[in-house]
Amino acid sequence: MSSFAATSALFTRDLRAVVRSRSQLYSSILTPLLILVFLGNGVSHGLAPSKLSAGNFTAYLVAGAVAMTAVFSSTFSSASYYRDRDSGIMRMFLSSPQSGRTILLGKSLAGVLIGVLQAMVVLAVAAPFVQFDWQYGIPAGLLVAAASVVLLNVMLAGIAQALASRIQTMQGFHLIMNLALFPLLFFSGAFFPVDGLPMWLEVLARANPLSYAVDALELAAYADGTGGYFGLGLDFAVMGVISVAVYALGLARTPRLTWSGT
Amino acid sequence: MSPAASPLIEADAIVHRYGERRALDGFSLSVVPGSVFGLLGPNGSGKSTFITMLAAMDRPTEGTLRVFGQGPCAALRQRVGTVFQENAQDPLMTIEETMRLAGRLFGMRGDSIGARTTELLGAFGLLERRHDAIATLSGGMRRRLEMARALLHDPELLLLDEPTTGVDPEERRALWSALLGSAKGARTVLLATNDLTEADGVCDHVAFIKDGRVVASGTPVELKRGLRDEAVRVRWPGATEGQLAEVAHWPGTGSVTHDGETVHITVDAASELVPRLFALAPEGIRAVSIERSSLEDAYFQHVSRQAVAAEVVRA
Repeated sequence: MSSFAATSALFTRDLRAVVRSRSQLYSSILTPLLILVFLGNGVSHGLAPSKLSAGNFTAYLVAGAVAMTAVFSSTFSSASYYRDRDSGIMRMFLSSPQSGRTILLGKSLAGVLIGVLQAMVVLAVAAPFVQFDWQYGIPAGLLVAAASVVLLNVMLAGIAQALASRIQTMQGFHLIMNLALFPLLFFSGAFFPVDGLPMWLEVLARANPLSYAVDALELAAYADGTGGYFGLGLDFAVMGVISVAVYALGLARTPRLTWSGT
Repeated sequence: MSPAASPLIEADAIVHRYGERRALDGFSLSVVPGSVFGLLGPNGSGKSTFITMLAAMDRPTEGTLRVFGQGPCAALRQRVGTVFQENAQDPLMTIEETMRLAGRLFGMRGDSIGARTTELLGAFGLLERRHDAIATLSGGMRRRLEMARALLHDPELLLLDEPTTGVDPEERRALWSALLGSAKGARTVLLATNDLTEADGVCDHVAFIKDGRVVASGTPVELKRGLRDEAVRVRWPGATEGQLAEVAHWPGTGSVTHDGETVHITVDAASELVPRLFALAPEGIRAVSIERSSLEDAYFQHVSRQAVAAEVVRA
């Protein structure tokens, strides 16, 4: 009961911190929306991509923008380990009877929820302005999108925690997160379809866990009666296994919560 | 406090290493329940490392540490409150949010957190600011909040790591008044500080720490016993070892130690010593002050004796 109350208190505290940090809240949502508006419209009108439905790159890009929001959000949320360490409040957490796992769980669950909410806001803001087919209908499509966004954020939270356990400084953490996650975004189908790519890129796309999240999001909202690149069943099977495994790995590795590494 | 009371803290030959550096090096100490115990030593002497172990946030590399009869473990933290040398606070949180979060982490119920928060914020003069963000508080207020937060779960052992650093004298007095008033003799307090005057005023037992080990321990009265009546502090930049040795041999002179440009001399009668000093070094002495012997003089005497003993062993 005490651990649950402590996890809940840390969860609430981290949510409150994000709500107060307006710049973090807005930038995680606005950056993907700006990419949608400028890159989407620019490519749609400037290059007129013939492989996309009605040449509408903006609609295609929504799934990638949602995935990108999750990446930004998980990076910002996980950076709170460093902020808490540097502000000193981590010492208060560690001097309590709670285990390091309880502290991590409370903070990471808050990060997951924030990431899910931000990603869904991007989808909700974009949806009225682009041409979606909603092949399963809007309620079911939103449910599929929400489920894939939850799994994606759980996976990213695990990756971020595992990295934070190894990296001493916040600057280093941001650098590694960007280096690790942006290439994954590039060949996930977020910016261009992965079918018809050179073999080496297609192999990378198949090995990339983000590809399955983007595929599920495309199927939920954008796709026009197709089965997608992998198919919804494989998307959720892969995401489910990888998300649980990576999150468990992240929780198993205690981040460097103090400067001495204890 | 019974002399036969079993120790609440028992440290036996503790060694703690940070890489190659030994922060604690054969550290042994015993603290009985209900005492206000001072750990006195310069920066880097190992005080904070020992506090971190008592808070069960780290373990000795070698040696044995027992608190409440058990080794450092997570369950032990329930009985310990810690005021860290640097504030353990998030500047964006309010005072009340900080207290509520701390209470939850220590397994307290909402209603008892509320009642205890009101009581402690009242005692530490923060009640009117309870809804303010910590970033808006003065340094002294933040230290008071740190104290209130550490006392929230009514710990049996309170660890204070230089709690009044950066606090002005008036605020310091108020802080100690609230702190010791809350203890009512039932709580054991361990104070790590390099402010010997403060320790002399509040501690009933002290240990002098140097280079990661205890060089002397006892009540302030015991440690000052054997000191001469008066302490003379002489600002004497060019004092040579020969001059200091000569002073040490004068009748009525106790210890002669130096700390940078300042020479500390304990003596039976300063009125006889001072003219002889000026005769010995008419150009060298810049300033002289005379006080009753204090814990600071005892500290210099014991630490100096330890250094001399170490030199003898090396020779």
